[in-house]
Amino acid sequence: MMEDNQKKCIELAERIYDLDVKVYESIGSSLGRTFTDDRQTCVENLTKLMTLRPQGHLLRSELALISNMARTIKDEEIKAEVMAEYASILKEVAKLPEGFGKVDILNKKRAKLNTVRMEKKFKKGDHLVICIGRTQGSAGNDIGFALADALHINYYDVEILQEVLKRLEVENDPKVNGDKDQEGLIEDKYEKHFGEARGIRQKLHEFNRYHGLKKEDAIFFNQSDLICKMAKEEDFIVMGRCADVILTNNRIPHISIFITAPFEQRVKRYMEVNDLTLKQAVRELKKMDKKHNDYFHFYTGMKWGAAENYDICFNSASYGIEESVEIIERMLNKIPGVSWNKKKEKKNQ
Amino acid sequence: METIIPAWLCIPFAGLLLCIAVMPLVKGEWWEKNQPLVVAMWSLLFVIPYAVKFGVGNSFETVLECVLNDYLTFIVLLFGLFCVSGNITLEGDFAGSPRLNVAVLAFGTLLSSCIGTTGASMLLVRPVLKMNAWRRNKRQLMVFFIFMVSNMGGCLTPIGDPPLLMGFMRGVPFFWSMHLFPVLLFNMVLLLIAFYFMDRRAYRRDIARGLKPDISKPGTDFEISGLHNVIFLVMIVAAVILSGTLPNMPMFKDAAGNVRGIHVFREVTLTYPAIIEIVIILLAAYLSYKTTEESIRTKNHFTWGPIKEVAVLFIGIFITMQPALMILKSFGPKLGIKNAFEMFWATGMLSSFLDNTPTYLVFLTTAGTLGFTKGMATTVGTISIKMLTAISCGAVFMGANTYIGNAPNFMVKSISDENGVRMPSFFGYIVWSLLFLVPVFIMDTLVFFL
Repeated sequence: MMEDNQKKCIELAERIYDLDVKVYESIGSSLGRTFTDDRQTCVENLTKLMTLRPQGHLLRSELALISNMARTIKDEEIKAEVMAEYASILKEVAKLPEGFGKVDILNKKRAKLNTVRMEKKFKKGDHLVICIGRTQGSAGNDIGFALADALHINYYDVEILQEVLKRLEVENDPKVNGDKDQEGLIEDKYEKHFGEARGIRQKLHEFNRYHGLKKEDAIFFNQSDLICKMAKEEDFIVMGRCADVILTNNRIPHISIFITAPFEQRVKRYMEVNDLTLKQAVRELKKMDKKHNDYFHFYTGMKWGAAENYDICFNSASYGIEESVEIIERMLNKIPGVSWNKKKEKKNQ
Repeated sequence: METIIPAWLCIPFAGLLLCIAVMPLVKGEWWEKNQPLVVAMWSLLFVIPYAVKFGVGNSFETVLECVLNDYLTFIVLLFGLFCVSGNITLEGDFAGSPRLNVAVLAFGTLLSSCIGTTGASMLLVRPVLKMNAWRRNKRQLMVFFIFMVSNMGGCLTPIGDPPLLMGFMRGVPFFWSMHLFPVLLFNMVLLLIAFYFMDRRAYRRDIARGLKPDISKPGTDFEISGLHNVIFLVMIVAAVILSGTLPNMPMFKDAAGNVRGIHVFREVTLTYPAIIEIVIILLAAYLSYKTTEESIRTKNHFTWGPIKEVAVLFIGIFITMQPALMILKSFGPKLGIKNAFEMFWATGMLSSFLDNTPTYLVFLTTAGTLGFTKGMATTVGTISIKMLTAISCGAVFMGANTYIGNAPNFMVKSISDENGVRMPSFFGYIVWSLLFLVPVFIMDTLVFFL
């Protein structure tokens, strides 16, 4: 019975979304429409709305917005057709029993992140995308790189930012390119005044170049596009860049991992790797943690490093680089039918 | 002998306002279909009892006076600006973000004083919607658009808002209103800061949902189509200025000093300056419509819906508002208001619900009788600068308090409703005003009017 109701809600949600598309296309306007998300997100949200509060104000308000627009369709025939569909949807919505399905899992997207359901995340032919978030000094980069090597897939970190910068045509900008090394470039994306223009002329130039957006935002949006495009084409590991949230929002299957270690251990490693004093390392790490946290929170609204946001959370100090890679590999081997598995099998043969 | 208007005659006005506020929430579709009937019902509920109490002739004269001399010019101006601005479209891939929205609101606020609050609102509402089409949470943008572009921005010149035009007709110099710039700037800064943080929060929510603008192409294309319509916009602004200047010219006055026109009934005369204004505006609208390609209007999602809704609702508001205005005219001067801050709030609170032009006139006349010896010499007497500033700011600023406080408010709401923006209800909007505008007005009082 519950399954039937759920099916009915999904069907209705799809009809509502299709109606909005039809209305918007019939009008030929470019001023905006009721549903700005993609089809799947909208259908999921509407289904949730119907499951929870079928007669609620929110659902009515969404439908009212579509009808406001529908009434302005000039072609009488299309208008009649659209209004008939609208009336039929309203009738169906009115028939929905109040509050059914209250015991269903409300956030299915979140439930799917549960590792016991990991195998259900990927369909046949999906690419293996692993998103790694890490605290500085936890050897996250080394683990990521070693894992990519073990799985024979690509590893991306600064390359994504470089590709985006190329897209935005800023590689010729001496202020961004200059003498900065790659590490510097990675960290720059967190800077508030990253590549900030000086002088009105340059400001206007940047205003035009980034569609009126801040440079950081333009880079983030382009990074999002690029990560999604790559995820449809190849298997890879991506370091940071809110890639896990971007892929979740775009319904692209992936595995998210967060790697960290006790602060003291990170300080020790950071001092060794970068040849710093204790005071310098502590200051640097605190600064970096804050920047990572602010960046992640700004673009995702979520808490960086909170365990519930990831598939796997690792304390790298407990396992070391090699063992961490082995553990992750063992988990991934449980996923059947993923293209990377076959690739690896072939390679082993 | 002065006619005493009973307060119960204001019930139809209150009833109509209540319908505008509540009906879209409880019986939305029915309300959309039957607005004209409801408006006619409340209008008759005022006209008939008024006719019974004061005679059919008086009732007819009152209605005719408000329809011909107030409503007609009001709706023709709105219609003209709505048509012309709907024929200008901004093609570009600017992506609406908090800082761009702040810039557009600031620009629009200043533009309002050059082409009027209605002109600036109609001209900018579509580009603003278009830039933010990728976003879901944009209600705050349209609310602040109404606050600033549709109301406050009109305070710098008599073209900005009709009450100031009335002041200009009564001897306030054309550029005197520029003195209000510090108050406007103060309010702009406060409101834009509040807006920026609120819009930033909403923008982050949109990004966190995975929404993003299409900026895959480097560089921004920007093109304005239908730019020739600016000529018709200038024509309309000129018509508004003429309506304020012609009545003072000798050739438009008869021997008794009354403005010449077509006599309609008893004291009701449709004046020649008003006819000239109407003809110029209608001509501009017609030429604009005829010389612009249909495709531009399609891109702008141009429909007659918003203007039709405003025309229907406001004829009812204008008619049923008459007893309230008559009471205000009789009792306004007796309210004992002598201080600038009292004037600011009294003019403002009444302008929030009544037409701000007559409200401004009542308090301007009252201030003229207070016996100031220093200040601005007007045809209604000398008024202290502080007092005049308070009346002007009250009338212009507080029109933003409700959807019916100023003509473009409802237009912006209607256009937003038609383009996927979840606008607040009538009372919901008042809550926004209470949260953002009232604190700013309290600050104005403390800084400028005490």
